[in-house]
Amino acid sequence: MEEFRGIVNMLRFFVRTKNFGYVDRIGNALTPEPVEVALLEAMRAFRSIWESAKTDEGGRYIEKDGEKIYVPKIPSDSEVENFLNAVRENIRIAKRVATLALAYPSKKEKNGGGE
Amino acid sequence: MFLSVGVRFEANVEALNMVETAGNYSKHRRVPYLVEEDGKLKSVYVPAVSGESLAHAYQEHLVREALGMGLPVCDDCAKGEFFKSMDEVHLAPKLFLLDRVFKTVFRDVTTVSDETLRILNEELEKAKKSKKLNEEKIAQLKSYIELIQRFKNADNPRALFIQHKSVASQVIGNYMIKKNILDLSPYTIEEIIVKNCTIEDIGGFMYAGSPPVRRSSVFQVSYALPIKSMALFATAEPQLHARHAQMEGGKKGNVSEQMIYYVETGTALYGFTFNLDLDAIGVSAITSKPILDEDEIKKRREAALKALFRMLSSAQFGAKLSRFFPVGGITELVVSVTEHPFVVTSPIYDDYAEKTEKRLKVLESFGESYFYAKSSGEKLPEEVLKEAIEYIREKGHI
Repeated sequence: MEEFRGIVNMLRFFVRTKNFGYVDRIGNALTPEPVEVALLEAMRAFRSIWESAKTDEGGRYIEKDGEKIYVPKIPSDSEVENFLNAVRENIRIAKRVATLALAYPSKKEKNGGGE
Repeated sequence: MFLSVGVRFEANVEALNMVETAGNYSKHRRVPYLVEEDGKLKSVYVPAVSGESLAHAYQEHLVREALGMGLPVCDDCAKGEFFKSMDEVHLAPKLFLLDRVFKTVFRDVTTVSDETLRILNEELEKAKKSKKLNEEKIAQLKSYIELIQRFKNADNPRALFIQHKSVASQVIGNYMIKKNILDLSPYTIEEIIVKNCTIEDIGGFMYAGSPPVRRSSVFQVSYALPIKSMALFATAEPQLHARHAQMEGGKKGNVSEQMIYYVETGTALYGFTFNLDLDAIGVSAITSKPILDEDEIKKRREAALKALFRMLSSAQFGAKLSRFFPVGGITELVVSVTEHPFVVTSPIYDDYAEKTEKRLKVLESFGESYFYAKSSGEKLPEEVLKEAIEYIREKGHI
């Protein structure tokens, strides 16, 4: 799943901000189309957040309930394309990506992962 | 009697149900929807308005109608905050707001006060001995003790609680109810809530204390969804807006001269269904017996019907009405009133009115009388609703 790390990180960011909508829709999709729609909506929302985020030495961040939450980088177009192609081949990949996004990261992410 | 309404309304450029804001982007609610195209089923995402949103609006109208008719409404509901007696502290004010309820619950003021004071003093001793810094808790407990001591000796104990409503609610909720000092069975809890609040009688509640008590809503409402034949023409499109700030001598803090933001607006011909079980108003969900007298039940039924009329005729439902009031209005409406539950065919289907009428005729063959009406070119939706209300009045239910 390393090749979809950017998407996992983006979804994990939404989970940390208590917005489970995207990860649930991607994880529970039965066909590729809902995954495409959910990913489009997630990317649109994520870009808005990313562009209006504040910055410090750790990277871009937003504040929620007094806590700084660092915003990971926007997934690359090739990663998104590969993910959508992979989902068209095998819908279970969407479930795996969503599951990883819900898991606690094995390496503590100190910042958003740069730009 | 059971009332069921199918409503079709056109809403152009609406933001009735926004779900989240991400940065400068506000999203409209969208739901997956099955549509048929070229003989094949497919799912598409369409703008929608949730049943929760419509139910909230209906209950806000109900508050106004109930208060206007002199019916009881609890403080939380009157503010449009529908906590619905969710826990002991939110239940507590209902024990002393109505005289008739207070007299049955606090029959023996001295015994209740003594038992509460005993528990509060124990808590206070524990708090004082604790190594933790809990000055706030100590001060709170002292204020509870002072109130209960005054309550015990008061000439008018109910008036004292009303005067100190906030503290009284906390001490009653957290001590008298939680520690089982008051004798409250599930039926008593339901009775107290229903007597005190018309909104919770009609809109239901979920009391999560011990014992938990729930009452189903007497009304039901669906999501508002684009009608099937036009679902593929429904849109949810972001509109760009800008806020300008007058700048003198550069930037003010972080505010830039022009802030842009997007609001997703929906445009669709929506349909939704609203049902109201008039027989369940003022009747216990536990024993199925009336809690209120016949006159009050009739008044509450009337308030429930008026609230529906007002909600539909004023189009005061959904969010962002101040700047995105939908352009359009009700295009069609059907109403059925039956002796027992019967729901009109969903207005998302084109033949819903004809189908509803046919289904009602089957009902008639079983000897059940009914009322049915549909708005048309000559008959306005308001006139149809009025006819339905008049029918219910003629039958003696309001």
